[in-house]
Amino acid sequence: MRLNDIQARFRDNMLDPDLLAQDEQFSAQFTKSEITLDNRFSVYRNNVVKSLTDVITATYPVIEKLVGEDFLRDTARVFVRQSPPQHGCLHDYGSAFADFLTQFEPAKNLPYLPDVARMEWAWNKAYYAVDDEPLDPESLTTIAPDKFDKLRFSFRDSVQLIESPYPLDDIRDFSLHDNPEGTLNVDKGGVFLMIFRPELDVQIHILEENEYRALKLLKKNDTIFGMSETILPLHPNFNLETFLQKHLMLGIFSGYDLDKKG
Amino acid sequence: MAFKASDDAFTHPVPTTPEKEGGIGLRSIHYKDLIEQKPATGWLEVHPENYFGGGIHRHYLTKARELYPLSLHAVGLSLGSDQPVDENHLRQIKELIEIYQPFQVSDHASWSASGNAHLNDLLPLPYTEESLSRLCNNIDRTQNYFGRTILLENPSSYVAFADNDMTEYDFLNEAGKRTGCGLLLDVNNIFVQSRNHSFDPYKYIDAVNPEPVGEIHLAGHIERDFEGGTILVDSHNQYVRPEVWDLFEHAIKHLGPTPTLIEWDSDFPALKDLAGEAAKAQTIIDRHAKEWNDAAE
Repeated sequence: MRLNDIQARFRDNMLDPDLLAQDEQFSAQFTKSEITLDNRFSVYRNNVVKSLTDVITATYPVIEKLVGEDFLRDTARVFVRQSPPQHGCLHDYGSAFADFLTQFEPAKNLPYLPDVARMEWAWNKAYYAVDDEPLDPESLTTIAPDKFDKLRFSFRDSVQLIESPYPLDDIRDFSLHDNPEGTLNVDKGGVFLMIFRPELDVQIHILEENEYRALKLLKKNDTIFGMSETILPLHPNFNLETFLQKHLMLGIFSGYDLDKKG
Repeated sequence: MAFKASDDAFTHPVPTTPEKEGGIGLRSIHYKDLIEQKPATGWLEVHPENYFGGGIHRHYLTKARELYPLSLHAVGLSLGSDQPVDENHLRQIKELIEIYQPFQVSDHASWSASGNAHLNDLLPLPYTEESLSRLCNNIDRTQNYFGRTILLENPSSYVAFADNDMTEYDFLNEAGKRTGCGLLLDVNNIFVQSRNHSFDPYKYIDAVNPEPVGEIHLAGHIERDFEGGTILVDSHNQYVRPEVWDLFEHAIKHLGPTPTLIEWDSDFPALKDLAGEAAKAQTIIDRHAKEWNDAAE
């Protein structure tokens, strides 16, 4: 059997324990011994599935608190077998877990779970984002006032924007607190969040809807003018100056450009 | 004091190569202890994959590198796959090589990737001419990309292929000969293999070409009982077993003084106990160093 075929069948056997018994041609590639081939393969299957399940449980600590360790591990095992990593950088592994949860029947009675997963994935991305420098607000003082409308910002690698009809911030605080007080009300209303790592620690900022929408547009490479045109009719109280000052001070931008097209 | 990425732009206050052979694997659980206690160990090794991207792990790696020489031991290149090494993976390791100036870079004679799946384990290769040729192509590609040689490590395995054309040590010796890569001899893996596949581990060591061996690994393993027998599993969560220390001493007599790492990946001991294992390896190396010095004179 060619190496390519051996590796493809070995891979499929790692993800589906029932395949080995059905594939005599593949089994014949290995020496026979007192210990069955299935038991020998189980050592590898255990390593593969456990190590990847560990990646998922480490990435989703809030979900672990909400559903319990056993439920999360069982869920993660199904996910791992269905969607193994596509490359060797495991910091990127698990991005599809939120979408998986929306389809996962045993979790259907917890409709906020996928959004919690999206928040945790954003946190994970910010945690491993590349180290970059904030835009110095002083550098904007040289821009002529008539050019200001054409300004576009680039964002620091760690900046993630998340909205949800569920109070993700409360859910997170309640879940990760050792002795949470009171009860968690998941129906109290939604939230707009920015997850961002200015230096070494990941921060979660609660945003007003208008600034969330404004940041979304700027992140899509809209100009200041284009963004304001969209936001102001919907949010007449939006104050561009306050908005820019706040986010320049937080240091979420990495640079700007004044190109006409983008 | 605010942290900025540029603060980590880093100088080399310690030599790139170790002055003492015994070294330890660095894991995040020990970051703070390492920087506070500065244990007497010759060098550190990390998995580069844990330092892709940025943030707190890079920050601590920079601090650690300011104290010790460093080796990068990759687990994700999948050198033995029947497909080319992932260029994105190579790029990220090369970036770390340029920043941290490791004295060794290594990965395994095994595979993890097939098609679009990366299985995150060191899976076994049949020891055939076809596998050797694929492995050597990937080693060539890696060494060309990095602009330096790498070390190739012998893995543990729990199955044996029926149609091997050669022994594992011939396979490794030949890969070294064809690509110019060095070898990383994992003495625990040789012991685990010898029990799982019934051969004499001492004869294996004697058959390894000593010249390209640039590093040794030591680790703990566990026994898993099945109907029909026991499989040793390379678990990296235990102290090195006495039988493996004996085999290590034999390896040192065969190879001469060689940088030797204690690997420990879960159920971690205190940092001082991990450093104690490396000191134990150093004692064995020092005991035989005189024989090598005398022979050289």
